[in-house]
Amino acid sequence: MDPTGQADKIFAALAGIAEDPLSYAEEWKRKTGRQVIAVLPMNFPSELIHAAGALPVVMQAERTAPTDGRSLLYEYYCGFTRSLVDQAATKKLGVFDAFLLVDHCVALLGAADAIRFELPDTPVHLAQYTASMDEPWTPPQVQGKVDELKGVLSEICGRSATDEGIIKSINAFNLNRKMLREIYDLRRSGEVPLTSRKIQVLVKSSMVMDIAEHNEHLAQLLPMLKAGSYTSNKPVKLHLSGHFCHAPHPELLDMIEDCGAVIVDDDLYTGYRYIATDVPTERDPIAALTRWYFDRNTNTPCSTRAQKNVDWEKYLSTSAQKSGAEGIIVLMAKFCEPHMLYYPELRKEFIAANIPHLLLETEHESPAIEMVKTRVEALIETIRLNKTKAA
Amino acid sequence: MSIAIEKSQSKLITGKPPVIVNRLVSTRSAGKMVKDYWDRVFTARERGATVVWYNGAALNPLFQAAGIEWCHGEAFAARIAAMHLEGPAQETGEEYGYNQELCSYARTTLGCSVLTQKQAEIVPQANEPDDFPDIPSEAVLASRLPPPDFFVNAYAGCSTGQQWDEISYRMYGKKLPFFKVSYPFLWGNRPDAGYLRGQEWDDASQYVAAQLYKLIEFLELQTGREFDWDVLRESMHYIKRAAKLRVEALELCKTAPTPAVFWDWVASIAPINFLPGTQELVDYFARVKAEIEQRIIDGVAALPSERYRLSFDGIMNWTKVGWLANKFSEHDAAVICGRYTHSSFWHEPHLIDEDDPILGMAQHYLLCPFNHSAKVQSEIMLQNAKTYGLDGVVFHSTRTCRSSANGQMVMAKAAQAAGLQTMVLEGDVADASFYKDEILESRLEAMLETIDARRIR
Repeated sequence: MDPTGQADKIFAALAGIAEDPLSYAEEWKRKTGRQVIAVLPMNFPSELIHAAGALPVVMQAERTAPTDGRSLLYEYYCGFTRSLVDQAATKKLGVFDAFLLVDHCVALLGAADAIRFELPDTPVHLAQYTASMDEPWTPPQVQGKVDELKGVLSEICGRSATDEGIIKSINAFNLNRKMLREIYDLRRSGEVPLTSRKIQVLVKSSMVMDIAEHNEHLAQLLPMLKAGSYTSNKPVKLHLSGHFCHAPHPELLDMIEDCGAVIVDDDLYTGYRYIATDVPTERDPIAALTRWYFDRNTNTPCSTRAQKNVDWEKYLSTSAQKSGAEGIIVLMAKFCEPHMLYYPELRKEFIAANIPHLLLETEHESPAIEMVKTRVEALIETIRLNKTKAA
Repeated sequence: MSIAIEKSQSKLITGKPPVIVNRLVSTRSAGKMVKDYWDRVFTARERGATVVWYNGAALNPLFQAAGIEWCHGEAFAARIAAMHLEGPAQETGEEYGYNQELCSYARTTLGCSVLTQKQAEIVPQANEPDDFPDIPSEAVLASRLPPPDFFVNAYAGCSTGQQWDEISYRMYGKKLPFFKVSYPFLWGNRPDAGYLRGQEWDDASQYVAAQLYKLIEFLELQTGREFDWDVLRESMHYIKRAAKLRVEALELCKTAPTPAVFWDWVASIAPINFLPGTQELVDYFARVKAEIEQRIIDGVAALPSERYRLSFDGIMNWTKVGWLANKFSEHDAAVICGRYTHSSFWHEPHLIDEDDPILGMAQHYLLCPFNHSAKVQSEIMLQNAKTYGLDGVVFHSTRTCRSSANGQMVMAKAAQAAGLQTMVLEGDVADASFYKDEILESRLEAMLETIDARRIR
């Protein structure tokens, strides 16, 4: 089989898992006899779960419109939280032995509490990480929570993770992130025709799969991608930003690229934000996982955190400069408050830095692609026009 | 004691006889107390006072002891919404880029920030109406806040509350000092966890108390003065006495028909939430309690036609308070208690040690009514139902306030299981556009009819 065919085969396998993570988790549980733990985004250290011998699964939104879950969460919550609650209410989450979270987004807490009501026999544990990063008392508080999670996992899984075990898990996840970042580098270089849909498949599958298995796939895939050839027809280069907690619909990503754009970079949660930062390789793995939480926000700032000395807007304008992105599309999940609050700061920066941009608000239900398409086309034409004028 | 009689405007609309609502007379003085407070804030700059903008918990005793003027963002948003003057601030926020689905408290105060900054560029110490020549009269109030010298954020139960001040800080160019108090959400991970009990409660109390000591150091740094612990103790002495009187007065409303209603307690939120701890505050709540006691002696009801006893869950809806009071009264429904009025604002005064008040203050900040799990909220709601002899619960589904909406549907199921009738009222904290009046009317009628039917059965 030619390298492209083999690569397509790997992508197809991973896409299937990304599309149906619950079936994968059930199969994993059946094969291993071990626990499967649901993780709520966006800052949970999955390494701890892995070290306890269980499968960490970052919860994903389903494509279907909420039904029974509507009686547990109002319609003005983000699509992700409504989908989680609906999955609980429609009894699809039986594979999970526990639900764990460290983020205290107000909508996420509402969803977690509804899940707890719906699944009263399954632990739903909040080890709340302080979201304000500036104070000297925040790191010890977060470290206490990492330690607390280690103890909780020991109770749930019936086995304690050793320091050596956690370090091994950290190394496995670091390797995964490293390989994914290499793929991102190929994408930025323009040497590889990687669509946003494919990138999403790679990141999403890494969120839900056994990390060793995912690493094997990536190890096979990377050389194939590096060997590939690509003829660019000089499309407009864009950066996709935002969309916390869950993945944007792939059709939306396809549409943007079909309009004549290539996505050279992103800071989506189901994208670069998830893989940007490695856990430091320190001797004390609890301290390392604590530092990771702070490093993540410094590397890829997030408006769900409160930190005076980092700026998401500066990060974006700098990223665009580095990747050569000629414009930025901000994807904002409807009802996402941290994003709604921060958007004017982004807009001010884009205007000041003369970066063409477009805000697209996404909804859980299928997007009205044709209506959105006109706006994307307008952005791309504006960029092309600017380039022509500049030439 | 005289009884104020307000006639609802509903007669003009519905043709029904006027509904008689006996609102407490004693709460009227709250209006003047609150106006005087805001006037003092508005003149802070010309008096050379230091100004803090803050959000969340009632930190005002700390600011009082630090000798500075305090401006509570949500309180100001609530005030201008209650005066129906929120429009210019919200429109300014929208022009600035805020989405209508964003917390309307935040949108309103951030809009005020933009207006305040604009005004400060024109007249640095604007105060009198003549100082605002280029601003439409309805936007003057929203432009009157004195710019801050620094920010303090202390928002329990809502991640947006913390992020909102992060934006205020950025809006002012990231140049002003900014202190943040972080609160654990009282989630209830462990079996011993519950209301005012368990290791989680103890740990959270200590964690917040430690931050308050750090806040005091920050205040000393900003003011260049030593923090006045005697003023804090004195302030907390008055607040504890006022809080105790308020709680006792609330409990008097177990009487049927009730001598005071939820809407009376709404009128008393501002004094207990952010006015200085003084004898005046104690006197206010002493008058409120005395009036209620007298009503009980005289057999005077807040709603003489009381047929239904309800509670109101969720945050307040400042643009519609009077309208809602009349709407419920028209249907002989006395709203007796509510989460926002009864489970908040120094409502556990026994926790306050006047000589060493920090821990008790920290605990009250943690007891924000939106900082509990649905399980604990349900327990409190059912306890109130028992205490006040309730027939049903009205859930205010607040479009832009997920923190107050969290857990409501779980609570509704708990209420129904306990034999209480429930309804959901769609509205918002400070944005009137989210109301659907006719839907409220039909749902309220249906709820009350069901209560009637149950009584017959």
